[in-house]
Amino acid sequence: MKYTLIDGENGAVTVRIEGQLDAITVSDIRPLFDQLTERRPRMVTLDLSALRLIDSSGVGAIVSLFKRVRSDNGDFHVRGASGQPLAIFKLLRLDRVFSL
Amino acid sequence: MQRASTVILLRFQSDLRYRNLVLRATQAAAKLVGQGDHPVFDDEVVAACSEAFNNIAVHAYPETPGEVEIQIEVHEDAVTIRMLDHGRSYELDDQPDPDLESLPESGLGIFIIKSFMDQVIYRPGAPNLLEMTKRIVSRPEQAATV
Repeated sequence: MKYTLIDGENGAVTVRIEGQLDAITVSDIRPLFDQLTERRPRMVTLDLSALRLIDSSGVGAIVSLFKRVRSDNGDFHVRGASGQPLAIFKLLRLDRVFSL
Repeated sequence: MQRASTVILLRFQSDLRYRNLVLRATQAAAKLVGQGDHPVFDDEVVAACSEAFNNIAVHAYPETPGEVEIQIEVHEDAVTIRMLDHGRSYELDDQPDPDLESLPESGLGIFIIKSFMDQVIYRPGAPNLLEMTKRIVSRPEQAATV
């Protein structure tokens, strides 16, 4: 798993996640999510166009991030999910939550 | 279900680092089922197997890795995956389906397995057996027996 954080304008942040977000790699990205929420960004976009596989651990980390961003009145978007990650999001009805 | 045309056997330790081996074998097996491409079928089988192996690595053997045997049967119209372990057992139906409206952050693994596979059987014992079958034309006949 590889991630890239891109600071945009007006407090917007994009996080691009590549590869697998799962029980092994989720511990690598949780600190990033923690740091991100401490900054109280106005908008967070997860770019999952290069995410190949996600499991329930990865979903848990994303949902946790979503809740924290929204509790600080930030906007949260997910874009680019396809294949196995999109199948998981649809099953868990997160496609509606994330407007996929 | 037709007689299995291919059987893949894997045996290794329940370390999460080996999970990709399971998923690659499972994905390759899923692609052999039926005619033509069926990416949704493949994705759902891989997702279920991912959660099943996580459960063994994290819950069946919580302290030190133990042996896992995986049998993948490819049929003309279905794939069956069996995972056998000698770790802690559980009851498949103990965990209620999650309340998805509350956006749960955990407790989703078994729900994903049951939702994506057509038939799920768990038999605790020595070894514990989890058997998951998915047919190329899904039928709502999910079953859980102990």
